[in-house]
Amino acid sequence: MRRGRFTGYWLMLPAALWLALFFVIPFYSLLATSLYDPEGSVLTGYDVTYHFANFVDALDDFWEPLLRSLWYAAVATAICLVLGYVLAYAIAFKAGRWSSLLLVLVIAPFFTSFLIRTLSWKLILADDGFVVDTLQFLHVLGDDSRLLATPVAVIAGLVYNFLPFMVLPLYASLEKIDGRLIEAAGDLYASPSRGFLKVTLPLSKPGVIAGTLLTFIPAAGDYINASLLGSPNQRMVGNVIQNLFTSTGDYAAAGALSVILMAIIVAMVMVYIRTAGTEELV
Amino acid sequence: MSLAADRASRSLRLTALTKEFATFTAVRSLDLEVPAGSFFALLGPSGCGKTTTLRMVAGLEVPTSGSIHLGDDEITYEKPYRRPVNTVFQNYALFPHLDIHENVAFGLRRRKVKDVDRQVKEMLALVELESQAKKKPPQMSGGQQQRVALARALINRPEVLLLDEPLGALDLKLRRAMQIELKRIQTEVGLTFVHVTHDQEEAMTMADTIAVMNGGVIEQMGSPAELYENPRTTFVANFLGQSNLIAGSVASAEGDVVRVDMHGNQVSIPAERAHARSGEGWVGIRPEKVLLAPAGEPIDAPGNHLTGGIVTDVSFVGVSTQYLVQMPWGQELMAFEQNTGRRAVLAKGTKVDVSWRPEFSFLLPASQDVNAGVLEEA
Amino acid sequence: MVNARLSRRAALRGGAGVLLGGASLGVLPLFGSPDRKQDPDSCRARDLSASQKRLVVSNWPAYIDEDDDGYVSTLTEFEQRTGIKVDYTADVNDNLEFFAKVVNQLGSCQPSKRDMFMLTDWMAARMIQVGWLQPLDRTKVPNLHANLIDSLKGVGWDPDRTYSAPWQSGLSGIAYNKSKVKEVRSFEELLSRPDLKGRISLLTEMRDTMGLTLLSQGADPSDFSGDEWDDAIDRLRKARSDGQIRAFTGNEYIQDLSAGNILACEAWSGDVAAAEDENLVFVSPEEGTMIWSDNMLVPNLATHQGNAEKWIDYYYEPEVAAKLAAYVWYICPVKGAQEAMEKVDPTLVDNELIFPTAESLKTMHSFMALEEFQIRAYEGDFADVIGG
Ligand SMILES: Nc1ncnc2c1ncn2[C@@H]1O[C@H](COP(=O)(O)OP(=O)(O)OP(=O)(O)O)[C@@H](O)[C@H]1O
Ligand SMILES: [Mg+2]
Repeated sequence: MRRGRFTGYWLMLPAALWLALFFVIPFYSLLATSLYDPEGSVLTGYDVTYHFANFVDALDDFWEPLLRSLWYAAVATAICLVLGYVLAYAIAFKAGRWSSLLLVLVIAPFFTSFLIRTLSWKLILADDGFVVDTLQFLHVLGDDSRLLATPVAVIAGLVYNFLPFMVLPLYASLEKIDGRLIEAAGDLYASPSRGFLKVTLPLSKPGVIAGTLLTFIPAAGDYINASLLGSPNQRMVGNVIQNLFTSTGDYAAAGALSVILMAIIVAMVMVYIRTAGTEELV
Repeated sequence: MSLAADRASRSLRLTALTKEFATFTAVRSLDLEVPAGSFFALLGPSGCGKTTTLRMVAGLEVPTSGSIHLGDDEITYEKPYRRPVNTVFQNYALFPHLDIHENVAFGLRRRKVKDVDRQVKEMLALVELESQAKKKPPQMSGGQQQRVALARALINRPEVLLLDEPLGALDLKLRRAMQIELKRIQTEVGLTFVHVTHDQEEAMTMADTIAVMNGGVIEQMGSPAELYENPRTTFVANFLGQSNLIAGSVASAEGDVVRVDMHGNQVSIPAERAHARSGEGWVGIRPEKVLLAPAGEPIDAPGNHLTGGIVTDVSFVGVSTQYLVQMPWGQELMAFEQNTGRRAVLAKGTKVDVSWRPEFSFLLPASQDVNAGVLEEA
Repeated sequence: MVNARLSRRAALRGGAGVLLGGASLGVLPLFGSPDRKQDPDSCRARDLSASQKRLVVSNWPAYIDEDDDGYVSTLTEFEQRTGIKVDYTADVNDNLEFFAKVVNQLGSCQPSKRDMFMLTDWMAARMIQVGWLQPLDRTKVPNLHANLIDSLKGVGWDPDRTYSAPWQSGLSGIAYNKSKVKEVRSFEELLSRPDLKGRISLLTEMRDTMGLTLLSQGADPSDFSGDEWDDAIDRLRKARSDGQIRAFTGNEYIQDLSAGNILACEAWSGDVAAAEDENLVFVSPEEGTMIWSDNMLVPNLATHQGNAEKWIDYYYEPEVAAKLAAYVWYICPVKGAQEAMEKVDPTLVDNELIFPTAESLKTMHSFMALEEFQIRAYEGDFADVIGG
C-alpha cells in the first residue's frame, strides 16, 4: 500500500520527460519567438518583449498564403479521402490474399525521402514530360499550358505525399468491419449502395476522421510541395515561415505565423471532432 | 398484434439444391419442402451444411445447381435484398453504430415504409425490450441482443424467417426461456420459421417438422415423434436421442411383421418400422424402451425376451437410472429405467433378463454404419 | 452547499489555470535570442595546421574544376604539392541559407566545423561586421596582395583585404534556351515577354535580382533612392502576380533550364558554361549586368587557418587561376592569369566573361552597401515578393 501510492507517478515519468523534451520546451520556445521584439535581428539578438502585435502584423501580411494553405490542404484532403477510400476498400474487401502486398505498396514511397519523392514528381509533371504531352494530345491541357508551377501540381504533390496517411487508418477501420454486417444489411433490403452508405461508411467513420486529420494537418503546414512543384503564386504558409526564419531572419514574424497556424489547426480539429462526433470512435 | 404476412405466405421448396466450394461440396442435391406457416427445424452436426443451405435461401450464397421456389416463384438467383426472406444470424450481426430502435427499423426504412416508429415500438414490446430502445447493441446482454436480432428480422414480416442457431451462444437457462419465447412468437405471428440448430432437444421441443441433415444431404424428415420413434437411418437413430443397435438377420418377412434372428433370439418388428426386408440388419430399440428384471423374475411387459444379461454399469441420474447390460454375445445394451420406486436399483454384476415390446423396435439395413451420428462424448 | 463546494473547486481550478498560464508567460524571456556579435580575437582556436594536414572547405556547387581522365584538377595539385588533405563540400546554395546554417554556432562562439567558406561580398561584409571571421596573416598570402586585380582592391567593407580573398567574380545576367525560344536581350523582356509567361525563374539573391530590376527601371544599383527601390519592387511584384515568374531559385535553376521547364532565367555567368549544354546561352542584358565576388573567408574557431592561407596563396598563382577560370568561366580576380591563359586555353584569352575589358566593366554594376536598417527593410520587401 505504502509502496503503491507513488508507483503510478513514477511510471508516468518517461512519458512526462518525453513530453517536456519534445513538446513543452519547443512549444514554449516557439511561443517566446512569436513574442519577440520585432526590432531585433538575428545578429543583434531578440528579446521577448511580449509584443502581441506580432500576431496582428503576421495576419495582416500573410493572410493570403495562410488561407491558401488551408484551401490547398482541404482540397488535397478531400481528394485523398476519395482516392484513399477506394484504395482502402479494395484492399480490405476485394484484394484477398494480395492485400498485404498492396498495403506494402501503399507505404512503399516512405522508403525514399520525402524530398526525393517530390522531386521525382517534378520530372513526371515536367513541361516536356509525357504527362503534359499526353494531356495536351488529348486536349485536356492547352498547347502552351502546363502542370508544374500551378496549384494542380502542388495539390497533386500533397495528395501523393499524404495519401498513405489516409489509406492506412481507413484500411484499419474498414478491415475491422464484420463482413456479416454487410450481408445483414443486404438481407434487410439494403441494395449494395444503400448498404455501403448506411453500414460500411458509418462504421469506417473512425478511419475517416483519423485519416482526414492525419492528412490535413501535415498538408496545411507543408512547404516542400509548394516550393518544388509550385511557383511563387502558390506559396503556402510553410514556405513563408521557412523564408522568414532562414532568409529574412525575421524570427518574430515567423514565430507569430507559426503560432497562428497552430492555433487555427487546433481550433479546426476541435470543431471537426466535436461535430463529427467521437463517441463512436471505438 | 397483426404481424402475420400481408399476403398468404407460401411454402418454401428446395429442389436438387447443390453448393460446391472450391474443394468441398457443402450441400448435395438437397430436396426440401417447408410448408407455409410451419416451424421447421434443420438439425445436424457441425459442418453438415445447415448454414450454407440457409444462406442460399437468403440469397447470400449462389447455388451451384438446383433451384429455390417460394410458392410458384423461383428465387434461386434473386438478389438478397429483393427476397421476402429475413435472417436471424448465428452471431446476430447487429449494427453497432445504430441504437436498438434504428437496428429494428433498418429493414422498414430501406423499404420506405410509413409509420416506422410505431411498428418498431410494437415490435420491441413483443420482444420485451421497449425500455432499451436507445441503447447500442454492445451495451446489451447476449439474450437481449438475440431478441433484437429477432425483432429486426421479424418486423419485416418476411414470408420465411431463417434462424441460424440463434440460441447457440446463450446459457442453458436463457436458452430454454428463449425457446419458449420463439415458439410463442411464431405461433402468434404465424410466419414460416426455418430454424437451424445442432441441438436435437431444441429441435424436438420447438419444431413441427424436423429435417435431419448429414454430410450435405437430408437423412430424414418428419415430425419429432416420427423421427424419434421410427428412424430410417442409423444416423438419425443415433443423432436424435440414443439407440441400441443389435446385429441380426431377417428370418421371415410376412404380413405386417418381420422376424429377425438376433444372436439366436427371435425378435419381431412391425413391417412399417422395418427398413430392411431380407439379409442382415440392425435391430434398433431406444434405451428407455428396454425393460430389465433380475434373471428368472417375470417382466411385466411381455415382448421380445432375451436372457443371460449381466449389469456392468449403473449410473443414477435422479429421475432415472441408466444401466449397461452385457449380453451373451458380448454387446453392451443401454437401458434407462424411471425411478418409480417399484423396485430397488439393480447392483452391478446382477444377472438380468431383458425385454421390449416388439412395436417399439425398428430394423435398419446392415449396410449403414452402426456408429453414424453417435455423439463422441455421450 | 454541494454546489458551493463545487463552484469553489471550479474557481480554484480556474485560478490555478490562470496562475500556470501567467507563470508560463513569465518563463518566456528564457527563450530570447542572444546577441550574435563576437570578438575574433578572443573567439579563436589554436591553429593545428602544422600537425594536421587537413582543410575543410565549403563552396558553391560547380565552382571548381574536377579531375577527369587525363586532367588533374587544381585541387588535386594543391593536395599533391602541400600534402594537405582537403575536405571539399559544395554545400553553399544561397548566402542567407548558409548564414542560417552557421548562425547558431558562429553567433555563440562555437566551431562551425569549417576552415573556410566562400560567400558573396555583402554577406562577407556582414560577417566581418559581427566579428565572425579571422583576419588573414598578410605575410602568409603574398600572392593575394600582389596579384589581386585592381578593381577588387579597396572595397569599402574590407579595404585592405584583411578578412577576405575573392575566389571568383561573376556576372548576373540572363540565360535562355535557344532551342526553345528566341533571343532574350533585356531584363525587361524577361519580365514581360508573353511567350515566356510562367517559364522564367529569378534568383533568390536579393542584390542580383533587385540590381537587375533597378537597372531595368533606369536606376543605378550602386546608388538608388527609396522611391527607386519602391518602383523596382513594384515592378517585380507585378511580374510575379502576372504569373510571369515560375520560381525564385538558388543554384538549381540550371537543371530546370536544361530540362525545358523554364525557357529563360536570371543566371550567373559561369553556370551556363558549366552546364555544358550548347542550347544554353548567357546574355548580358541591355540594361547592364550585376557584378559580384564570392570571397574565401576563414571563420572563428577554424583549426586550420595556416592551411587555408596556403590554399588562398596557391589560388592566387596566375597559372592556377587561369586553369580554374578556364574551367568555371567566371571572372578571374588574379592579375597575370590572362597571360597564363595562353598556355591553358588560348581561345579564352579574350573571353570577356573571364577577362572583361575596361569597356565592358563599365556596364557591370555592383550593389550599394546597405545599412543594417536598410537590409532589414529591403530584405523584407524582397522576401515579401518572392515568398508571400
Ligand atoms: N466459403 C466456403 N468455402 C469453402 N468451404 C466452406 C465455405 N463455407 C462453408 N464451407 C464448408 O462447408 C461445410 C458446411 O458449412 P456450414 O457453415 O453450412 O456448416 P453448418 O452446418 O452451419 O455448421 P455449424 O453447425 O458448425 O454452423 C463446412 O465443412 C465448411 O467448412
Ligand atoms: Mg452454421
